[in-house]
Amino acid sequence: MIRLQNVTKTYKGSIVALQDITLDIAKGEFVFLVGSSGSGKSTFIKLLLKDEDPDRGDIHVAGKDLNRMKSWRIPQLRRELGCVFQDFKLLESKTVAENVAFALEVIGKPRHVIARTVPDVLQLVGLAHKHDAYPHELSGGEQQRVSIARAFVNRPRILLCDEPTGNLDPTTSVGIMKLLDRINRTGTTVIMATHDQHIVDSMRRRVVELADGAMVRDQTRGVYGYGG
Amino acid sequence: MGARWRYLLAELGIGLRRNLLMTVATIVTFTVSLTLLGVGIMVQRQVDRVTDLFYGEVEVSIFLVDGITEGQRVSLESELREHPVVEEVMYESKEDAYEHFQEIFADNESLLDSVTPEILPASFRVKLHDPEQFAVIESQFAGYPGVDVVSDQREILDRFFALLGALRNGSLWIAAIQIVGAAALIFNTVRVTAFARREQTGIMKLVGATNWYIRLPFLLEGIVAGVVSALLAVGFLTLGAFTILQRIQEQVEFLPVVGLGDVLAVFPILVGVAVVIAAVSAFLSLRRFLAV
Repeated sequence: MIRLQNVTKTYKGSIVALQDITLDIAKGEFVFLVGSSGSGKSTFIKLLLKDEDPDRGDIHVAGKDLNRMKSWRIPQLRRELGCVFQDFKLLESKTVAENVAFALEVIGKPRHVIARTVPDVLQLVGLAHKHDAYPHELSGGEQQRVSIARAFVNRPRILLCDEPTGNLDPTTSVGIMKLLDRINRTGTTVIMATHDQHIVDSMRRRVVELADGAMVRDQTRGVYGYGG
Repeated sequence: MGARWRYLLAELGIGLRRNLLMTVATIVTFTVSLTLLGVGIMVQRQVDRVTDLFYGEVEVSIFLVDGITEGQRVSLESELREHPVVEEVMYESKEDAYEHFQEIFADNESLLDSVTPEILPASFRVKLHDPEQFAVIESQFAGYPGVDVVSDQREILDRFFALLGALRNGSLWIAAIQIVGAAALIFNTVRVTAFARREQTGIMKLVGATNWYIRLPFLLEGIVAGVVSALLAVGFLTLGAFTILQRIQEQVEFLPVVGLGDVLAVFPILVGVAVVIAAVSAFLSLRRFLAV
């Protein structure tokens, strides 16, 4: 589903963000991307979104060679990727349902499809009853659920999460992780950048660790630190 | 498709309302520039029309007296043809003159009714190798039997054209400056709007909206302002045609003056210029500030 081969990315020609990364992620996998701030996790996600291009190396996402992809094809790629961020990125002037529907409207989905899929996905994330609430009326955990609903409503093959629990307390985080796990079990590949040790340790999934842009560990059923 | 159009119209409405003041400023500037552009084009059309009237190619007209004899006319013509400074000679009889007159004043019936072939003079229309040689012709033929007046068409027209040319150039220059102003206003309006919508645009990019889908509301805002301005400009030009131009036509009945027909001919040019300028400045602003 995702393949990186000898990928190197530097900013302004000198700061090394990622160095010679080679990695294969199969369909349906759940992968934690761990490492301290500045280790290259966000750059990794930006490369998969083709928000940035690598200096060297090949990247394949969902069967597409990103280096050869024309820029007008990028929207097509992003429709196969769902994105969740630490800061939710919800539109404050729209209700929960409208925020989710927005993702479908702007890619030209017909109205009847939107009317059918939005309630389904809100049900999935457990927010069917908050349909008409505005983001500021919701707790952080609920806002993140809305953002996950928006990322997943178009049934992407891959879900990219950049510190999705970064702003949430531990209990709320567990709920979010259960939701991501459920989405993963529908066959969606999930990649989650995090430095939440507790979550990584409790899930026992594949762990890829970055340090100063280099991949220093790739463990199938790993924990956050060494020697777990 | 329904959702798409509703989105587009909603965004357009939000954008125009949010930037009401900027939109008004843009429309005012655009209207002034397009009106002046229209004036410039109308003046040029006026010049073209007068040129037609006075046979653009002809430099000298030798008007003949009504009582000229056939012999006088023939010898005058052959002398003209053999003259070294003359390139071409064309005889215009009273009937030819009347026909020509009818063509030019086709839409001025009262004038046509008052004129008959008899009151128009016959003439020789002369083209010179070197138009500066008028004095030679005048001194030689002014006193010639059967000749009424030798007139330098260029001298009459040059003054008239110099005036119109200055008017045209002045209008076009101010129009050009105003158009730069309108473009800058649109550029800035789009920048402000883009900033206000940066979150929304970021999400749109993330979920895979195409660049054209993101651009379209911004471009439409500019284009709507442009088209509204073009309509206002045509309104002003029409007003001008019904007041100023009509009064001029009444004053100088012998000259054909541009009118409503010319305003209508100018309309598509103004709309075209407005749309292109608006779309291009919005497009450049988006590329700079939204990277789409």
